[in-house]
Amino acid sequence: MNLFKIISELEKVDPEIMDRLTHRRSALTALGDLSKKMAMAAAPIAIGSAFNKALGQNTLTTVTDVLNYALLLERLEYSFYDQALKAATLTVPLTGAARTAIETIRAHEMAHVTLLTSALGSAASPAPANGFNFGTAFSTYDTFLTFAQAFEDTGVRAYKGQAVAIKTAGNPNNVLQTALQIHSVEARHAAHIRYMRRGATAGNQTTIMPWIVNADANGAPAPVYGAGNPVATFPAEGNVAQGGITNLTTALGATYDAADVSAAFDEGLDSTTVTNIAKSVVVF
Amino acid sequence: MSDSASSFPGRALRRRSFLRVAGATVASSALLLAGCNDDDEVAPVTTNSNTLVLTNNTVGLLNYLYLLEQLQAALFQKVVDAFPSDFTADDRAAFIDLRDHEVIHRETLKYLLDTSVYDINVGTNVLVFKFDSFNLSTRSGAYTAARTLKELSVSAYNGISRMVLESKEQPTFQAHLKLLVKMASVESRHAAFVRDQLQPNSFAASDVIGTNGLDSSKTPAEVAPLIAAYLPITLDVTALIFI
Repeated sequence: MNLFKIISELEKVDPEIMDRLTHRRSALTALGDLSKKMAMAAAPIAIGSAFNKALGQNTLTTVTDVLNYALLLERLEYSFYDQALKAATLTVPLTGAARTAIETIRAHEMAHVTLLTSALGSAASPAPANGFNFGTAFSTYDTFLTFAQAFEDTGVRAYKGQAVAIKTAGNPNNVLQTALQIHSVEARHAAHIRYMRRGATAGNQTTIMPWIVNADANGAPAPVYGAGNPVATFPAEGNVAQGGITNLTTALGATYDAADVSAAFDEGLDSTTVTNIAKSVVVF
Repeated sequence: MSDSASSFPGRALRRRSFLRVAGATVASSALLLAGCNDDDEVAPVTTNSNTLVLTNNTVGLLNYLYLLEQLQAALFQKVVDAFPSDFTADDRAAFIDLRDHEVIHRETLKYLLDTSVYDINVGTNVLVFKFDSFNLSTRSGAYTAARTLKELSVSAYNGISRMVLESKEQPTFQAHLKLLVKMASVESRHAAFVRDQLQPNSFAASDVIGTNGLDSSKTPAEVAPLIAAYLPITLDVTALIFI
């Protein structure tokens, strides 16, 4: 298969894609009205999800719903790190460089909450009245880091899942760039958290790497690394089919390990699956 | 993780591809015209023996990223071929992973570009990237080199979204964007890792992540001068339009 064949394949699969997406221009207009620079950070999620909806992959119905969904997830992440830093059970193990790292990550999540809140203005949903209950997440340092890994890797997948949809929305290049810049930060967080788990007091996951090998959950909930919906669009992290190539382990003129191939590519995830993962481990 | 340091030999980049420009241009154009419906597609070509000119389309973009992946793969291969004496077992394992991922990225892009890949007409002379400015014989030097190229890669991938395309190019770009973004976060994971190894806790330090919580982003025009010192050729990205 070559580059040009892929184009025609795409058109064969969905010749009316541009038509159906055109309706969504209203979503773009609504976002444009937010106008503030702050809004650009939030817009990627909104546009991406709106277009996903056009493709029947999302249950959210309005831009505000989408933004609030994103805000909820960011609040969840911020709250997670904030509670961790205040948890008595973690006072001893979460010290020094480890505490500094978590404080850095918490600051980034706070920045995202601020961006979304500003973008939504009066339409912003209040934070859950009873906050977020992470259950036994902070019982041990090991458990805390396992949850952190799950949230960060899910965050990477959540943003990635919307990238193409954003680009499809016409030419919102600055919106997509902002989304990718957030996506990139989530990946840095994930890499660091993963490496933190290698220590004896942090779970002793001595073989875990900053990148995702196969669909290994390393103790995190398996759905974090599983397939989304639809599976063809959001395969599991162990996926070895990329860019229209069925199996990269054998298609590239040499034989590569599935572990290496899967680790070289992260996978996107739809918002419904992301939400379900969050609800499986957090009460809010 | 690969258990063999030599399982992914660096791809031979051959200088002859740049010296046989005229012939390559004609051949590539003919292939493109035969393989698609787009009369305006032109493979990246060299205008003289030492300049790689990227076209303003998806082919140009993919060749740009292909070059970046070649560069990174070459660096990691060089380190893997002669590990610094102060490398730990973990360092070695990590660099083998990094090399493997970059080789897979490189080969995937090459496969997708097919006859449009800029170095398709390989001859006998290997195009050698220049890493003279790095000291690859020490752990610190190897990680410094890795950090430099990784940060470039992260910002380059974050910048691809701003490419301006004709409507006829949109479907191609969108199909590839899905793939490129899958690589982008892996580049960020790499960057965080090598930064941490060089300076603990610098995975997302303030020199790369602003107070707004956003990572860096660079256009090809911004990246090109930053990689010029490593290339044995001149990279011309002026036609590759980004906003």
